[in-house]
Amino acid sequence: MSDTIVPKENLLLRMQEDIRRALEKPEGERRWGMVIDTRKCVGCHACTISCVAENKLPPGVVYRPVLDQEIGTYPNVTRRFMPRPCMQCEKPPCVPVCPVNATYIRPDGIVAIDYEQCIGCRYCITACPYSARTFDLGHTYTEGTPEQEVYELLPNYEYGVEHPRKPGSEESPIGNARKCHFCLHRLEQGQLPMCVTTCIGIANYFGDLNDRESLVAEMAAQPNAIVLKEELGTKPKVFYLI
Amino acid sequence: MTTLTTPFAEQESRQTKWVLWFAWVLAIASAGIGAYGLFLRFVLGHAGANYGSYVPWGLWIAAYIALIGASAGAFAFAAVIFTLRKLRYYSLARLAILLAFGAFAAGMTNVWLDLGHPLRFWKLMLQTSFTSIMGWMSWFYVIYGLILVVGLFITRNGVIPKFMERYSWISFFFAIVFAGAEGALFGVVGARALWESGLTPILFLVEAGLFGLGLVAIGGFIFGCLEKQSARMLSVVMLIFLGLLLLFKWAEYTTALYASVPAKVEPIMTILTGPFWWVFWFFHLGLGILLPALLLLFGRGNIWSTGIAGGLIAAMSLASKLNLVLPALAQEELKGLAHAFTGPGLVFAYFPSLMEWLVWIGTLGLGGLIVLIGFHIFNISAPTYSGSSNR
Repeated sequence: MSDTIVPKENLLLRMQEDIRRALEKPEGERRWGMVIDTRKCVGCHACTISCVAENKLPPGVVYRPVLDQEIGTYPNVTRRFMPRPCMQCEKPPCVPVCPVNATYIRPDGIVAIDYEQCIGCRYCITACPYSARTFDLGHTYTEGTPEQEVYELLPNYEYGVEHPRKPGSEESPIGNARKCHFCLHRLEQGQLPMCVTTCIGIANYFGDLNDRESLVAEMAAQPNAIVLKEELGTKPKVFYLI
Repeated sequence: MTTLTTPFAEQESRQTKWVLWFAWVLAIASAGIGAYGLFLRFVLGHAGANYGSYVPWGLWIAAYIALIGASAGAFAFAAVIFTLRKLRYYSLARLAILLAFGAFAAGMTNVWLDLGHPLRFWKLMLQTSFTSIMGWMSWFYVIYGLILVVGLFITRNGVIPKFMERYSWISFFFAIVFAGAEGALFGVVGARALWESGLTPILFLVEAGLFGLGLVAIGGFIFGCLEKQSARMLSVVMLIFLGLLLLFKWAEYTTALYASVPAKVEPIMTILTGPFWWVFWFFHLGLGILLPALLLLFGRGNIWSTGIAGGLIAAMSLASKLNLVLPALAQEELKGLAHAFTGPGLVFAYFPSLMEWLVWIGTLGLGGLIVLIGFHIFNISAPTYSGSSNR
């Protein structure tokens, strides 16, 4: 069915072209968004793992889990996989509750966190209706083993800033609320978010929702595109094709 | 000036001194235990806690809102006594200010240690976002803390100045706003159906009044400044607040259960029948509402029954707040989230870790010590006079 909608072309290349086009525009005219085709998702978790690797996520921090949902009653049952990144809401409930302006909406629509500003009160975590924010408790994978592995100390480059990890300290990002940011550091280099690149079924479409020529804008306009918890009025920029 | 209240010295003979000694021992022991908890908190960081990403707030936040509420209530009591010039209760009102300060200090310590970056607390004051209720609250805390300190200092020699009597109503209204805003902090969170209600700030106000009076009753009992008439007055007011609390809880739960909106019914059912059902039925309803109500009803102003009822009410405030904070967070916001990814903090079940319990006990010890030491520093036991009367 999707063949009638999407021409047979290399969709990753098309999306990369969409990104390059968007990056030529002023930041305020872009509106990054994502469409996830749940019919194509096989629940391989490649997106989750690649996100963990790209952002050097410690234990207990996850930006894009894949929800495994069973629908119906035997014998009429369906299994659906639903990846859940940050919805990058246009009206994000997490932003106004932050007492120190550590979380904010960038001109391109991405909801960002200033790690050095965040005090770790976690009010934003309670305010997110999608549980898209996690708290970095400071755990490491080699906790309780004889040796601290070097890879655990490697810095991540979220928001284009180097963040070395210092287990045992409370230096950011330890002690912070953390969330998906559409791999902003990659985007600004003209690269797709890691989850989109690694999806084996190309179930993710990403790009500038303001660009009518972009694949993501085309897919978001499909009649079977929905957003989660629409009734809350958060206006997510992540859509699901069902 | 006119001596308005019976000096504590006279009453001390009536009071069993072992209660006060027991309070000292308990406070010192709690502070000692808390010191070890504090050590764990700074060595292990948040990795030693059982709250996390899906249940981001735990025991410390519940304790913080319980203590802050009790503080606001105790202070509002003092402000009412001074505003209405109820001269007989001036000693109790002075003690109430000190108790409010102790509870405030303990509550703030809980929330400070709960921060992911405790040393960045100053940003709350200097880089405040006023779109956030928490931003407003941080300033309210500063103002409230100052009001308490000023109140303690200007009454430290036992003379209540005229302006304290005449303008206490301003402080009273501030305490109301303060306690209500604490509730609004939860009431505005649309993602949590249990919290998001216009009734939440009102419930916080009622609970603040009740817990504050409970604190004053047990404090008055321990320090021997509760006499027949003040015990009777406190009993009546506490009974009224207990009735209001039951009414609001009944209204909140029954309307939600009848409406059957899953987002709200699920946390309520977690409270009533979940794995920690006994927190509601035994601690909150049984020991926090029904037993104190019976003691107050049948105690008829008896000092012991009023003091014990107050102590139960104040202690069980934690059960009430735990049942507000945790069940709302312990719900899957999206079906399948609980098993989508595993790791520390990625669970919807919560029980405080040893570190959390120890720190919490320590904060109570700290509050207790502040009150016990402050009792002497601020001469609470000295005879109290009204500054607006001639001797």
